[in-house]
Amino acid sequence: MALLVLTSIILVTLDLQGSAATKSMRSIFGAVFRPVESVARVVTRPATNAWYGITHYNDVTVENELLREKIAQQEGAAVAAAASVRLSQELLALNGLPTLAGINSVSAQVIGDSPSNFSQSVEIDQGTESGIKVGMPVLNAAGLVGRITQVFANRAVVMLITDPQYALSVKIINAPKTTVTTAPNEDPASAVTIVSVPDSIDPQITVPTVPATSNIAGFTPGSIVAPRTPIISSSLTIPPGSNVSVRETGILEGRGVGRVPTVRFIDATQRFGVVQPGSPIVTAGGSLSLAPPDIVVGTVSRVKERLGTAGPILEIDIVADLSNLSFVRILLYQPITERTAP
Amino acid sequence: MASRWTRLVLVSLILLGLQTTLLNDVRPFDVMLPVMLLFAVTAGTLYGSEIGATAGLIIGVMYDCVLSMPLGLASLVFGAAAYAAGLLPFFVREPTWWTRAITIGVVGAVGELAFPVAQSMVGFGGHFPPHVVVVVVFLVVSGMSIAPLLLPVCRWALKESPVG
Repeated sequence: MALLVLTSIILVTLDLQGSAATKSMRSIFGAVFRPVESVARVVTRPATNAWYGITHYNDVTVENELLREKIAQQEGAAVAAAASVRLSQELLALNGLPTLAGINSVSAQVIGDSPSNFSQSVEIDQGTESGIKVGMPVLNAAGLVGRITQVFANRAVVMLITDPQYALSVKIINAPKTTVTTAPNEDPASAVTIVSVPDSIDPQITVPTVPATSNIAGFTPGSIVAPRTPIISSSLTIPPGSNVSVRETGILEGRGVGRVPTVRFIDATQRFGVVQPGSPIVTAGGSLSLAPPDIVVGTVSRVKERLGTAGPILEIDIVADLSNLSFVRILLYQPITERTAP
Repeated sequence: MASRWTRLVLVSLILLGLQTTLLNDVRPFDVMLPVMLLFAVTAGTLYGSEIGATAGLIIGVMYDCVLSMPLGLASLVFGAAAYAAGLLPFFVREPTWWTRAITIGVVGAVGELAFPVAQSMVGFGGHFPPHVVVVVVFLVVSGMSIAPLLLPVCRWALKESPVG
């Protein structure tokens, strides 16, 4: 028993010190084990599929219907969003600021989950041969998924953002307060009804008598609320001109299986006041960050207030569905903290 | 004829293949069945603490190689669990198959719970998941259920080869 403990402690120590011996041991074992795992996967696939068929059929049917509905709703918004992103990138490029579009990426397929009840990681089929290095951020079509923690020749391990070891600086973007202004359509000479106006705005505002529209299908500036009575008036939501979205930096921390990640603020006194559920959360970037700025992470789902000056803790809904990862994209972006001297 | 340790490695390789594929995908009650740990514990119940600890160490190192945790952590947990399972004869004079099955289920569940503890010892988080009770109950029941399958496999893998 003493020998067992001693051997294990030596192995743990060597591995934590980053010993080349333990790395090559893992690598060799991986090369030996890979064919066995492939055979096992092929042999057990019918059983796995049967299991998923039995346990997830109803969920998949319901989810499919919801997704179809959601896709229909979001088609117009996606076109508008794409136009906005392109415009944003052009503006950033014009001002010489870094953008995600300027970072090369590699696509990879998820080939396995972590065989453990206590860690949150997946394995992908790309490695050093594709230029992947430890620390690189991993995302899917929805948003941030995790980061590379181990890399081999043709595979790599991705630590998911729900892993308790995962931490990342993020920005919380509080939506600006909105103003609802009602203007009658048919009689331009009639009075303009202002429902609420922030103090900073001059009450002598001019409201167009026709509804504000865009030349992009399905996209409207702000949101237009449909009138309850037919064509009597239209309500436009106008962001106050003096208030752009306010950002605050925090630390995102994974909390393990079945628990949503949280964000706590670096500064206990936030500049932008009360955080609203639904506020988007994006990566903060910076020279020491593990990810470039402005990758979508999720939205605030719940704000947990704490006593004293500790500030609130935000629970977040991750936009990426980590339970159904198939393909991911690795940004070939390496933070300074992970770079090694040549 | 291959030695008992060679057979153990080969059988463990197959079980590890099942662990990372079928058992990793099929998670009843959102709990993965740790068949590698149960196999190590089975070795302990059949062949005693010394053989069990060695088998646990070997199986654990193999499992470590596919985990993202520090190498040596699973071997420590597996070895300790198998060693503890090997103490069965101190409590039961002549263990039967069902006393061994109960031991495999209970010690397997305790061994799985030891993972977060071992992780916390090396500074790797190590908190218990919220459904820890479900994990324990499931592992006890499933460990006892698959013990009748693991016992003959382990008995064959670790049987002493005749010399000469």
